Amino acid sequence: MAPGLWRLAAIWLGLGLQSFGGGTATMALIRRCAVDEQRWLSEAEFARDWAISQVAPGINLLCLTVLLGWRVRGLRGACVALLGLAAPSGLITIVLTLMYASIRDSALVHAALAGVIPATIGLGLLMTWQMARPPVGASRAQGGAALALALLVLAGSAVLVGIFRVPVLAVLLGGGGVLGLAEWWRAWRGRRR
Amino acid sequence: MSEPWGLFWLFLRASLFSTGGTGNLPLIHQELTAEGVADERDFAEALAIGQVSPGPSGLWVVSFGFLIDSWRGGLLALLAILVPPLLVLLIDRLMRRAEAHPAMQGFVRGMMLAGAGAFIPVLATMLHAAGWSLPTLLIVAASVLLARARRVPVIVHLALAAALGILVDLARIG
Repeated sequence: MAPGLWRLAAIWLGLGLQSFGGGTATMALIRRCAVDEQRWLSEAEFARDWAISQVAPGINLLCLTVLLGWRVRGLRGACVALLGLAAPSGLITIVLTLMYASIRDSALVHAALAGVIPATIGLGLLMTWQMARPPVGASRAQGGAALALALLVLAGSAVLVGIFRVPVLAVLLGGGGVLGLAEWWRAWRGRRR
Repeated sequence: MSEPWGLFWLFLRASLFSTGGTGNLPLIHQELTAEGVADERDFAEALAIGQVSPGPSGLWVVSFGFLIDSWRGGLLALLAILVPPLLVLLIDRLMRRAEAHPAMQGFVRGMMLAGAGAFIPVLATMLHAAGWSLPTLLIVAASVLLARARRVPVIVHLALAAALGILVDLARIG
């Protein structure tokens, strides 16, 4: 039986407050709660919701939260789940930043940052690779030409943003447009054969 | 950009046209560094705090908002990132109809690639600001390897990096 709105809010609030450890830890907590404990949906349905969350606008985990809330209690469930997860985490983030801001100008913090900033860049590099790997892999499965086009979009976007200062939105829509047209043409050519 | 509406609109736009926790970073970085509202340190610090705070790492933008505009910036950022995820309900319906269409698949894939590509200049700028010293490059490389192994929690990962930064500083002074 689906929980009421207050119960739903309490569940997501609990998830939001205990999800220390980054996105992966949060995702694991949500999956365990939704699939194993509450049985709101099956493993396959969870995987589908996660896939959709990855192409939807905004933070993936918040998209997933909205979809799960929707499944349980419709639009009100989606809003309650979203606020339950994000509001406490967001407020704790602000408090952590406030604490950090009070010491950010000390010499010790400067020295620590000389280590933290490169580490953050390293995390960012890995994240970039993880973001690019699935679409590059899908293009590679289609053959050499598709792979070359995918790599061109990847490298071209970096050059357009980094060197020519093209607005990021234009680059995103342009990248989507190029591969969208290429896929449409590939499908059209396949039908004519 | 110091007006609250301008800041909120930037955070909202960046989130609307991106996916993932840090997909909004390139647009925010491009606009706010061009206007001199934020620098590389603000971004690096916010990203680090986003990694150690509870919830999705995408909450980095809340920390960033606080760093550049105190409580108002933090709360505006939080509000801005809450709106776009609701669109997933629409996407869910659309995907049920169009997910099989090749052009749609290609469009999504192209946006994912462009999003990853747009990230590279941001990292290059941050690295440039940090300085191309040997310790910096070694920490970057070690960080990639450590994160790839997925055995060390991010909070420990960043604490180790901070300790290393302090040690390098002490060695310099010594």
